[in-house]
Amino acid sequence: MAILQLRDVSKSFGQGPRRVDAVRDFSLEVDRGEVVALEGPSGSGKTTLLALAGALLTPTAGEIRVDGDDITKYGARARTRYRRDRVGFVFQGSNMVPFLTARENLLLVGEFGAGDRAALRRRADELLEQLDLVPVRDQVATSLSGGERQRVAIARALMRDPSLLLVDEPTASLNFELGTRVVDALLSEVHLRDKACIMVTHDDRMAQRADRLVEIRDGSLLSDRPLR
Amino acid sequence: MLALTEVRRRKLQFGFVTGVVALIAYLIIMVTGLGLGLYEAAGTALLNLNGDHLAYAANSNLSVIRSRLSDEDVAEVRSLPGAEAATPIGYVAAVIEFGPDESDTAAIIGVIPGSFAEPEVVEGRPIEGPTDILVDRAWVRVAGTRVGDTLALPVGFETRDFTVAGIVDRGYFFFQPGMYVDLASWQDLVFQGEAMQKPAASLVLLQGRDLAGTRSENWRIVTKEDGFNNIEGVQAQQSTVDALRYMGLLIGAMVIGVFFYVITLQKVSLLGILKAIGAPGPYLVTQGLLQVLVVCMVGAAVAVGLALLTEATVLASDTIPINFTSGAMATSSISVVIAGVVGSLLSARQVASIDPIIAMQQQ
Repeated sequence: MAILQLRDVSKSFGQGPRRVDAVRDFSLEVDRGEVVALEGPSGSGKTTLLALAGALLTPTAGEIRVDGDDITKYGARARTRYRRDRVGFVFQGSNMVPFLTARENLLLVGEFGAGDRAALRRRADELLEQLDLVPVRDQVATSLSGGERQRVAIARALMRDPSLLLVDEPTASLNFELGTRVVDALLSEVHLRDKACIMVTHDDRMAQRADRLVEIRDGSLLSDRPLR
Repeated sequence: MLALTEVRRRKLQFGFVTGVVALIAYLIIMVTGLGLGLYEAAGTALLNLNGDHLAYAANSNLSVIRSRLSDEDVAEVRSLPGAEAATPIGYVAAVIEFGPDESDTAAIIGVIPGSFAEPEVVEGRPIEGPTDILVDRAWVRVAGTRVGDTLALPVGFETRDFTVAGIVDRGYFFFQPGMYVDLASWQDLVFQGEAMQKPAASLVLLQGRDLAGTRSENWRIVTKEDGFNNIEGVQAQQSTVDALRYMGLLIGAMVIGVFFYVITLQKVSLLGILKAIGAPGPYLVTQGLLQVLVVCMVGAAVAVGLALLTEATVLASDTIPINFTSGAMATSSISVVIAGVVGSLLSARQVASIDPIIAMQQQ
């Protein structure tokens, strides 16, 4: 069953002669336990698509459903709750809170809303262990390596047990070996926990590790093919 | 708590801002203390008089220096129906000699011994004779005078020796230490021994109700507070001090506001990411304001410590008219905290308006 459904989604910025169509009539479904690599050149609309799925932007046209709910109908508060509880973001580059330790970065999501703090602590420790981060759990983010930071970001994205993971260039600042380890850790978590995941990447070698490869050009779907 | 963790872990950055807040708060506390000190030096002795109203000469424009009342005026005021009690008092500034080559200017206040205008002594005894004088404790600390010492005051072209009978705690008058003598001695000091047409008093101190506004051709009655406010220069002096305080608070609010605005600008990307992962705007605004509160409160506490240290060291042996009361310190500290919070509202607005998608693109 598809966790994420995008139907004829379009997103434009500006008006008149300055209007830019970032995404045009884009349709896509991502199933549970599936990692979709989204590939395309710079400015092709990859990040916009990710932002639309994460309710950071609202589409100009079309429908976006997550677990059956049309998230385009959400108000500001519902979008914040959605991002907090039902979707996990992994951004490119350094996206940790720099003055917090690896473990504190995970527990941060507990500060934003109600939740069993003890359960969150248990879950943070569990994720740190699964992603081989126990040795660095009490190190502040600025002292972590690029690979460690990205694994912490993946762990943080999984803290609220979201059904959808949105990952933007997770290996952009890493060498191939480190990038492979990060992507493998991500794939493993998605498959293990039965999540749906869209991973934006420039790197074809990383894209080839996903379950499906979707190519985007000028905001439109160019190709969609399974890799497994 | 994210905000407090950041303050704890970024000690240098927040320590610097706290230091600036402390200096601003210290400046405001010092100005407030100076204002209070000047206020007291201007005429606490007048405010501390044991009465509610004062009768001035009608043509004096409520100036203690120019006010001269005759025996008839005093008698007339005394007989007013609302006056429960009335007693004449005199004022003159005089040079006192209290040691070889040591002199000072004092506010000599003439009172009728035993009347309610005579201040209570905290040491020694009240005025009993024409050469007894009561001196203020604040001046005693500076001059080192003791009960029983002799002070020389000019009477005409000569000097008359007065004996320090007691010490009082009534404060300054016209920025001069208040000293109390027999009203008859005051007349000698003012009118240099001339027998003709000696005014009976400068003012009449009254106890009673609804006397303010009562007037005749020769005198008028005002409240003691109005009398104080009409002391030459008091209002201008307080306005200047108040302006300094308000300017300090305004500049403080602006400086603190700019500091936090810059700190916020440096964190736009981070705040955007936090919003993207589900941090509600009000949560982030609250965290920002919490940081401002903590920084301002710690800064104000440091400033109070600095002020107390200044009082105990630099000002202890000096004659600078400055006074730190706990109330004034608390008011100044709270004002700085409020100014800081007001100044940081711009940052709060900035935090609330950060678009997470823009923050993502700034990575």
